[in-house]
Amino acid sequence: MEATIEVRGLRKRYGAAVAVDDLSFTAGPGQVTGFVGPNGAGKSTTMRMIMGLDRPDGGTALVGGKPYRSLRTPLCGLGAMLDASAVHPARRARDHLRWLAHAGGLPARRVDEVIELTGLGGAARRRAGGFSLGMRQRLGIAAALLGDPPVLMFDEPVNGLDPEGITWIRGLLRSLAAEGRAVLVSSHLMSELEGGADRLVVIGRGRLIADTSVGDLLKAASRGRVEVRTTARQDVMTVLARAGATVTATGGDAVTVAGIPSEQIIALLTQAGAAFSGIAEHRASLEEAYMELTGDAVEFRAVTGREAR
Amino acid sequence: MSGANRGAPRAVLPRGAWTNTLHAEWTKLRTLPGVWWTLVALAGLTAAVGAAVTGSVDTANCASPAGCMEDTPKLALSGVRLGQVAAVAVGVLAVGGEYTTGTIAATLAAVPRRAAVLAAKAAVVAGAVAAAGTVGVLASLAAGRSLLPGNGFTAANGYPPLSPLDGPTARAAAGTVLYLVLVALLSLGVGTALREPAAAITAVLALLWLVPVVTRLTASAVWQDRLDKVAPMPAGLAVQATRDLDRLPIGPWAGLGVLAGYAAAALLAGGAVFAARDA
Repeated sequence: MEATIEVRGLRKRYGAAVAVDDLSFTAGPGQVTGFVGPNGAGKSTTMRMIMGLDRPDGGTALVGGKPYRSLRTPLCGLGAMLDASAVHPARRARDHLRWLAHAGGLPARRVDEVIELTGLGGAARRRAGGFSLGMRQRLGIAAALLGDPPVLMFDEPVNGLDPEGITWIRGLLRSLAAEGRAVLVSSHLMSELEGGADRLVVIGRGRLIADTSVGDLLKAASRGRVEVRTTARQDVMTVLARAGATVTATGGDAVTVAGIPSEQIIALLTQAGAAFSGIAEHRASLEEAYMELTGDAVEFRAVTGREAR
Repeated sequence: MSGANRGAPRAVLPRGAWTNTLHAEWTKLRTLPGVWWTLVALAGLTAAVGAAVTGSVDTANCASPAGCMEDTPKLALSGVRLGQVAAVAVGVLAVGGEYTTGTIAATLAAVPRRAAVLAAKAAVVAGAVAAAGTVGVLASLAAGRSLLPGNGFTAANGYPPLSPLDGPTARAAAGTVLYLVLVALLSLGVGTALREPAAAITAVLALLWLVPVVTRLTASAVWQDRLDKVAPMPAGLAVQATRDLDRLPIGPWAGLGVLAGYAAAALLAGGAVFAARDA
């Protein structure tokens, strides 16, 4: 089986609300594909349709070239963690993995292997209701890995985790991709994927906004912008704004300039006698690139009265 | 992975898939302590309430002991009216619990064929309730056997000691176990259709008790008979009768058949909704 997820023209609506709107993308082998968008953008709905839990109103979602529901051994085709809290609180963690293994016709030793692999250890004998969020995530990931599938899908796996847990999951995703698997991981925070994803599929309001490599996205978001370091911020901003540039104050003594090239900035500032200590190409963070892309797609934005300043 | 199989016609159900699904559902059921307690309650309530009711009936209250016309096996098995509540809980929670905890997503990820999931749930629920029901029914008969003679229901008065080997009593006993199984399956069907356990338990209990409560208020014997023929609990419990069968609104097996019809309809409706809607 090919290690791919292919989504083509996927659509889903709930009553009048369109959750997913003509969405197409591919998650390929050997890569961590970040699936990003604001809350409510349709990420979870898309993942549920990929797994055959929800029926699309249009389009197709294929796992290794086939609809999930037609896979002969689904747990060995795709492993997924959609909701880490979706375990019965009264059932022991090990028993949760055991019934899954039985359903997939997997040997009992596989249960012990994934318990070992995810560091659940002795906690596997405890009831899942007493688990911390971090332990639940480990249990969810253990369940996803049971069938040793070539395709993996995680919905917000680091949401709410402590830094140690985040580092662990990031390392795990990287090593799963390094083994040649396709890994699709969603997040509403781009920063969670910084350094973790190879490709990014960005969606907003159910529509595809960008399907790109991390490098290209950053390049696009940084384009043309220059950062000026100065102690005379007000002077610098006045001079450059008068010349037609878009100037934003960032950080304590920095100004980000868009619209005019750096040579012209140097010339203008020298001419006006505005002091500056450094000038460099602005390098956007993933978060910035994401904000720029999804700006129009955020469904519910907090109103901050003093934002304009 | 299975490169050799590529292009081969798709099997309806891969080999061993049904056994795997059944095994998974059984593991799921038996690894919840609450299920065990509910099954203990099923057997315990059936026997305890049966014993209490049996112990409260005495031939001294009748003109003559034989004139009591008491159906002693039915009397001893009357605890099932309360014990069935546990069967409702087991049936509803087998599927409703998956929706409240969210494990239904994992279940359908492992077994995308929803009809197979529901069939496997029906099988393990039926098995567990049959086992607990058998314990409860045998304990009820044992309690009746030891209590009845003390209250005047002796062989000399025309009431032979209760025995599960006696023809009509055996039918009443086996029928009572089947009654519990069918109530559990009815609950599983309603639970699958409604998903919300509280709503499903309320709906099933209302369906079971509605007619018995209404007929108590209606004065017309004709209407009582009509309602008792079509209502799941009165019709289903006709299987407990061992005497005056010709005076029953509906025969023992026909009555159980009515309940089976309700259970089948609920499972079919639940199955159809389950297959069609988003998980």
